[in-house]
Amino acid sequence: MTLKVSLAALAAALALASPARADIVFTSWGGTTQAAQTSAWIGKFAEKSGTKVLQDGPTDYGKIKAMVEAGKPTWDVVDVEGDYAVQAGEKGLLEKLDFSIIDKSKLDPRFVTDYSVGSFYYSFVIGCNKEAAKTCPQNWAEVFDTQKFPGKRAFYKWSAPGVIEAALLADGIAADKLYPLDLDRAFKKLDTIKKDIVWWTGGAQSQQLLASGETPFGSFWNGRITAIEKTGIKVEASWDGNITAADSLVMPKGVKDKKAAMEFIAFATSAPAQADFAARTGYAPTNLDSAALMSPDIAKTLPDKQTARQINADMAYWAKNRDAIAERWYAWQSK
Amino acid sequence: MPQATALVGPSRGQRRTSLLLALPALSLLIVFFALPVLALLLRSVLEPAPGFSNYVTLLGSSTYSRILVNTFTVSAVVTVVTLLIGFPTAWALALMPPIWSRLVFGVLLLSMWTNLLTRTYAWMVLLQRTGVINRTLIDLGIIDQPLPLVNNLTGVTIGMTYIMLPFVILPLYGVIRRIDPAILQAAALCGATRAQAFRRVLLPLVMPGIAVGGLMVFVMSLGYFVTPALLGGTANMMLAELIAQFVQSLVNWGMGGAAALVLLSVTLSLYTLQLRLFGTSGLGGR
Repeated sequence: MTLKVSLAALAAALALASPARADIVFTSWGGTTQAAQTSAWIGKFAEKSGTKVLQDGPTDYGKIKAMVEAGKPTWDVVDVEGDYAVQAGEKGLLEKLDFSIIDKSKLDPRFVTDYSVGSFYYSFVIGCNKEAAKTCPQNWAEVFDTQKFPGKRAFYKWSAPGVIEAALLADGIAADKLYPLDLDRAFKKLDTIKKDIVWWTGGAQSQQLLASGETPFGSFWNGRITAIEKTGIKVEASWDGNITAADSLVMPKGVKDKKAAMEFIAFATSAPAQADFAARTGYAPTNLDSAALMSPDIAKTLPDKQTARQINADMAYWAKNRDAIAERWYAWQSK
Repeated sequence: MPQATALVGPSRGQRRTSLLLALPALSLLIVFFALPVLALLLRSVLEPAPGFSNYVTLLGSSTYSRILVNTFTVSAVVTVVTLLIGFPTAWALALMPPIWSRLVFGVLLLSMWTNLLTRTYAWMVLLQRTGVINRTLIDLGIIDQPLPLVNNLTGVTIGMTYIMLPFVILPLYGVIRRIDPAILQAAALCGATRAQAFRRVLLPLVMPGIAVGGLMVFVMSLGYFVTPALLGGTANMMLAELIAQFVQSLVNWGMGGAAALVLLSVTLSLYTLQLRLFGTSGLGGR
């Protein structure tokens, strides 16, 4: 009896708390990236369409799965990693996108699938604090050379495209022969610098490590180097062998207002919105028309101007092997 | 013998009332905690196929057993260090004039109310190789090379001990305050040395507080997540981080459920042990 009453009261409270109008909810990773998405996409979209966009975060693949299984996703558009987008699409966790609303002819085809479009793309570059390091390593082989470049170096902690590729490039594998990844060789190479690695778990921590000189150099998202530069600290990025990966925008299966969500994605990937986001973050736009809208000074610092020495992480390969690589990665790390 | 039972414990009517009073909180716990946990545990024997394959993998792999051992080592070290620092602190607090002890409690509580992530990042800045502590020591000429204080067991221990200290100091303070100082004088009068008075009189009296505080710290440490992830190295991974990884990034809920059950059973058995040995007396009841 009491249980029923309290449940009823609870249900009433929940009903009051949820918004009456069908707004959409956008979820991303928080921090400076989501702040830029808010300024570049969300405010302007609300102005233009009248649809209010609520926000949540950080992105959590466990939550996406739970929401889809429950049949009631509360997230309508989610910013996810590119390889996850490919895998989740194949597993039936995502809605197919409607390309009559989203104009994919202008979007970088590297990052478009039936279920996802590129949100922004970034490169893992060799970042270096010029005040903390005696000399700055210029390529991955030098980052892995503890004789010539002693001291600690920073790498991304989680299993994702980037570090394994860097190890293989450092070991002398040609850029066009990277895939399928030779994991044995990569881990053997990583073993040689394991005790000199400081792992960063997120962008903010990576900035702290590099800015303080705790790790004078290492592998960083290019946008974070731009952000440190803006604070006046002397850092440089070497783009030799920069490894690109992309974030994607997806819709969990079962989203209530598909049309509104689709229109939001169309807006976020439009040329002006992508140019605005890129200018704020230093990450590259996924809309091919954006570069023309940006000031040349900014446009030339973006990853899409560094294609000559660029490696595109193979998202299809990662999607297929994501789980197996992750298992090995964490086992190796915890040893 | 109705009168006798009335003297010993609460009557049946009182018991029913207290159960009714607990019902809202209890139902909230059942709906939002017990049921979801049960659902996750069920997945551990249902996904990917019915059976115990997840548990075989979990307990059979050297990686996961290392993480399990790690979890216990870190929790044990943190518990011991916390007690070693917390006990004298609580004692000093009990002896201080009230004005001073109120000030110290204020500082303790203030630290508890500060955001956990902020506190952990602050330790990072203090402990890292280019951090305040190492810089000072190098400038003073005490060391040449920075000490490795972070991204290892040392960092985890320092960060977690700091967070856990109030959970030991508060119950110990309560217990020590209740001890009549005359008891120690009596021990001295009977010829006990200071060490003997401590070991044979004070320590047994304080034991319930030590047990409660120590167990609380140990159990909380077992499930700790943020601090080990930020202040520890990858070799210091603990079970909670592994569970989060299974659930959030690898989306392998079968394994996540299995790891959660292992953690839950350890915690529950420790709690049962505590009830057997000390009852609920140290938990605030009498």
